[in-house]
Amino acid sequence: MRDAYIVTSVRTPGCRRAKGAFKDTRPEDLLSFILGAAVDKTPGLEKKDVEDLMIGCSFPEAEQGLNIGRIAGQIGGFPDAVSGATINRFCSSGLEAIAQASLRVMAGWSEVTIGGGVESMTYVPMGGNLPRPHPEYTRMQADLYASMGITAENVAKRYDVSREAQDEFACNSQLKAADAQKNGHFTEIVPTPAARYVQTADGTYKRETFLQEFDDGVRATTTVEGLAKLRPVFAVNGSVTAGNSSQTTDGAAATIIASEAAVQKLGLKPVAKLKCYTTVGCKADEMGVGPAYAIPKVLQMAGVDIKDVGLFEINEAFASQAIYCIRELGLENDMDKINVNGGAIALGHPLGCTGAKLCATLLRNMRDRGVKYGVESMCIGGGMGAAALFELCD
Amino acid sequence: MVRKIRKAAVVGSGVMGGGIAALLASAGIKTVMLDIVPFDLSDEEKKDPAARNRIVKAGYDHLLTIQPALLMQPKDIDLISIGNLEDDFDQLADCDWIVEVVVENLKIKQDLFARIDKIRRAGSIVSSNTSGIPLKAMSEGLSADFRKHFLGTHFFNPVRYMHLLEIIPGQETAPEILAFMADFGERIMGKGIVWAKDTPNFVGNRIGVQGMVKTMQLMVSEDLSVTEVDALFGPAMGRPKTAMFKTADLVGLDTLGHVARNSYDLVNDESEKKDFILPDFFDQMIEKKMLGKKTQGGFYKTELTPEWKKIRKVLNPATMAYEDWHKAEFPCLAAAKKAKTPAEKLQAIVYGDDKGAVFAWKAVADQLIYSANRIPEISDTVVEIDNAMKWGYNFEMGPFETWDAIGVKQSVAKMENDGLTVPEKVTQMLAAGVESFYKTEDGKRFFYDFDSKAYQEIAVSASNISLAALKGAGGRVKSCASASLVDLGDGVFCCEFHTKMNALNAEIIQFLNESMDYVEENGVGLVIGNQAGGMPGAFSAGADLVQVGTAARENRLEEVDAMIKSLHEVVQRETYSPFPVVAAPYGLALGGGCEVCLAADRIVSHAELYMGLVEIGVGLLPAGGGCKNLWKRAVTTIPANVTDVDLAKYFIPTFMSIATAKVSMSAAEARANGFLGPNDRIVFNRDLLIGEAKKEVLRMVDQGYAPPVKRPLKVLGAAAEGMVNGEIFNMLSAGFVTEHDAFLARRIATVIAGGDVRTNSEIDEDVILSLERAAFVDFLKEEKTLARIENMLKTGKPLRN
Repeated sequence: MRDAYIVTSVRTPGCRRAKGAFKDTRPEDLLSFILGAAVDKTPGLEKKDVEDLMIGCSFPEAEQGLNIGRIAGQIGGFPDAVSGATINRFCSSGLEAIAQASLRVMAGWSEVTIGGGVESMTYVPMGGNLPRPHPEYTRMQADLYASMGITAENVAKRYDVSREAQDEFACNSQLKAADAQKNGHFTEIVPTPAARYVQTADGTYKRETFLQEFDDGVRATTTVEGLAKLRPVFAVNGSVTAGNSSQTTDGAAATIIASEAAVQKLGLKPVAKLKCYTTVGCKADEMGVGPAYAIPKVLQMAGVDIKDVGLFEINEAFASQAIYCIRELGLENDMDKINVNGGAIALGHPLGCTGAKLCATLLRNMRDRGVKYGVESMCIGGGMGAAALFELCD
Repeated sequence: MVRKIRKAAVVGSGVMGGGIAALLASAGIKTVMLDIVPFDLSDEEKKDPAARNRIVKAGYDHLLTIQPALLMQPKDIDLISIGNLEDDFDQLADCDWIVEVVVENLKIKQDLFARIDKIRRAGSIVSSNTSGIPLKAMSEGLSADFRKHFLGTHFFNPVRYMHLLEIIPGQETAPEILAFMADFGERIMGKGIVWAKDTPNFVGNRIGVQGMVKTMQLMVSEDLSVTEVDALFGPAMGRPKTAMFKTADLVGLDTLGHVARNSYDLVNDESEKKDFILPDFFDQMIEKKMLGKKTQGGFYKTELTPEWKKIRKVLNPATMAYEDWHKAEFPCLAAAKKAKTPAEKLQAIVYGDDKGAVFAWKAVADQLIYSANRIPEISDTVVEIDNAMKWGYNFEMGPFETWDAIGVKQSVAKMENDGLTVPEKVTQMLAAGVESFYKTEDGKRFFYDFDSKAYQEIAVSASNISLAALKGAGGRVKSCASASLVDLGDGVFCCEFHTKMNALNAEIIQFLNESMDYVEENGVGLVIGNQAGGMPGAFSAGADLVQVGTAARENRLEEVDAMIKSLHEVVQRETYSPFPVVAAPYGLALGGGCEVCLAADRIVSHAELYMGLVEIGVGLLPAGGGCKNLWKRAVTTIPANVTDVDLAKYFIPTFMSIATAKVSMSAAEARANGFLGPNDRIVFNRDLLIGEAKKEVLRMVDQGYAPPVKRPLKVLGAAAEGMVNGEIFNMLSAGFVTEHDAFLARRIATVIAGGDVRTNSEIDEDVILSLERAAFVDFLKEEKTLARIENMLKTGKPLRN
């Protein structure tokens, strides 16, 4: 197989569902903007050079339906010849899209592709507008449809992850994110046009646009004591709270992948390669353990020792599952390598966008720090884990 | 000009002001609430509008948090706007009614009314909610138009729940203003009107506080304990559960002391003054800030042990120390417990010979004599005094009804024997051969009028129908042990339940059917309603569980099956009979009581409605058409041209109402929960409920009533099961529900969804009834359901197993 080079990886800010800056911005607008911005940020590349747009989305319906991968390309001014697809593997959809876009290039079937992700949890609720679990199957086994909060409680209970540990982890996530914000580390963000409806003097409403430059869910004033006061939301005597769970968020992200030939021809600058990607299933009612299986699997496939991985982005769906996975991987003492700018507890987890968004953050950190190997991984609803190994180009 | 209250103003945002504003808003009237600018503002704050409104904002915010709620539903607060008396005073200019509820200080009130006089629109009504300051003093020197429109409107706390509104005419109040406010108070605000005179503390508090103070004095002289007095002066004598001293704790000793002192200052008679001198211990309690509930300790207090166990303590006034609470017992109380009627209970107590009985007699005799002596000083008739005590103090009987109950002749003889001075008007009444203050003839109630020395009819508004009086006058056309059919006139009949808590049983179901036979032959329409007492009272607390539980235990499930079948026939007949059926619920309307309403053509409800399908609490499901009709009420709101609708959005709240046994906290909330529909009406005054329901029947007949056509019902079908199973799995994992809850809820979901049928299909509504019946019988085969039923029968509380 050929090499496939990531030449650009960018994202919009992540903004709070229903309350944040993107609450009146349609997902197609977020996505078409970031697709265009990715091309703009890639000197030598034009929209016509891209063959296909592969877009991860967890709930591809309503505003995100009708194949948003194609629609956003058209709205974003890509020529008719640029095709588009929507890809769904719940929380790894964005990473899955990057992996498939890379495979297209690696197989020699494409020269330039974009993998990305989008989710407006404001417009399409988690679970979708019309969830319809299978009646007969649920009689036997409803856990496939378990709420994510319940799976987080299960992980905490089964593997002894204490409330205190979760709150401390959550607090650190917030403080790391706040620090990174303050120091201007989030350079993978492209300031994104957002809309809001405002009431005019005559009482009617009109749509206004503004530029959103930062992730708006970060709480710099978080303390462990403050988090300890929150009530468990998912279970009686539970330990999972709104404070130690990921935030529900709107956002989009895009990564441009090019073949060596395209790099040469267009004069592009390779940043990294997606070296290996894998997925693995686990029990549905403790889906959060997924990364504990997926990360060793991807490293073994690639023949890379975990000690040689300089940076990890392990999605913080919940503190309980993130802590469990870190422990299982023997990485408790490597917290300086994991989610170094904070994770989804502070920055948000826009479901289908997350895989694409974490790629942008990870590659920027790898480049900033000169780290050769970086791993991105997340747990997936229904009981799965996904992991990808990236290698920085010299 | 036709007078209307389009906008009202409440000046004062304390407990009473807030309560009045909340009631007005709940009744749909725009209300502005004003209070003073705080005295202690810094120079900076004096320019800050928020700081200037701090006091009124606190009162406003309190309305959103206070329990029990004063607003019928939280969104009613949108009708209340706030401001302060300096910046927003001009807002009073366009108000049709301004009610003053500020601090009880004559000078402050005088100044306020002088300001109002200058700004108010001519013709607008102004009233004071003072509980004791003479109106005359407040309106002195104000304009003629003001005095003509000025009166006293005295509400009781908590305003939403206490029925009494005393109206006190000023010396110059125009008769049409008094009549208008009485009508407004009765119909719109739902209050019971008592006409009071401008005398110290008016009617309720004059009689009520004299009774409390005198009882306390007697407690000291007769050497009784607080617990003993409360055991006597509680439900045993038709008084509220809070009796004497728990009531004092609730009201607050400072408030009580204030009213007593006010009466002491204002009554002229020296011997009467003595009746308002509180015992020493009471003053000591006020001094020590033992003010009752608001200070976590008054006559009673609850202490917590280090193990979090609650210990009830009660004050010993002799030592001023708290002691452990023990139940008080007297032979007269044991005798009262055995007695059947309220009159027999009273007689057992006041004519007993133990220490408690002797004390009770002295206290009661004193109060009867005191009350009789207050006519015509504080009110013209016995009716006003009795109503004030029933509506303002929650007594089951006022003093003169009490007197009738214990026998006027017998008690007067005992009073005279004791050397008490019986008022001449009473001895004269007896001498004239009249032995009771009240009588009922031809469905009309009469009271003995001391002035004319003759019985006079009690005047009530046309909608105020008394079923008891109608029955007394031969209006009962059919009856059985559990229910009666009462002729309301004009071809309208009322099916009245009269079991304990008006619980439904097989006999009532049968009777309801026979009632409909009767109306089909002889009438134009049917009201299902009753007038059992109590606050909030029970239209019907559900089905009689004894019958169902016993049948299940004895494995007579085919009988249950047959009973449900006949219940279904009756509720379906309510809907499809050729005449209108109007249900008139109030207070508790639970389980079967709710289902009887849901099946009716229309509901005319009292504003205080605690309605819900709570069967899951006893391991069952609504099987009187409740599942079907709550669903039907939800989906029939969808316009016919909306053909593609996600029924799941309607299914989930319907299912949740039944699966979580959701009960409304008002009729407004019952409407929000989908139990009441857009055509159902809410009546604020329970006394008018039967009358309004009758009007509704006649209106429907007049408009050419035709029964609804039975059409197929759209259901969610098979999709419901998967959705509910998924969610139940979460609830079970979370520990929010038990296995049996989950079992019941899953089955209930399939019933509401119409069973295993294609999603969004239209089915005959009888299918859902069959599913209800089958599930009900199946549930009774479950040990855990039987345990729930037994627990409810034993303890009155639901069991979570």
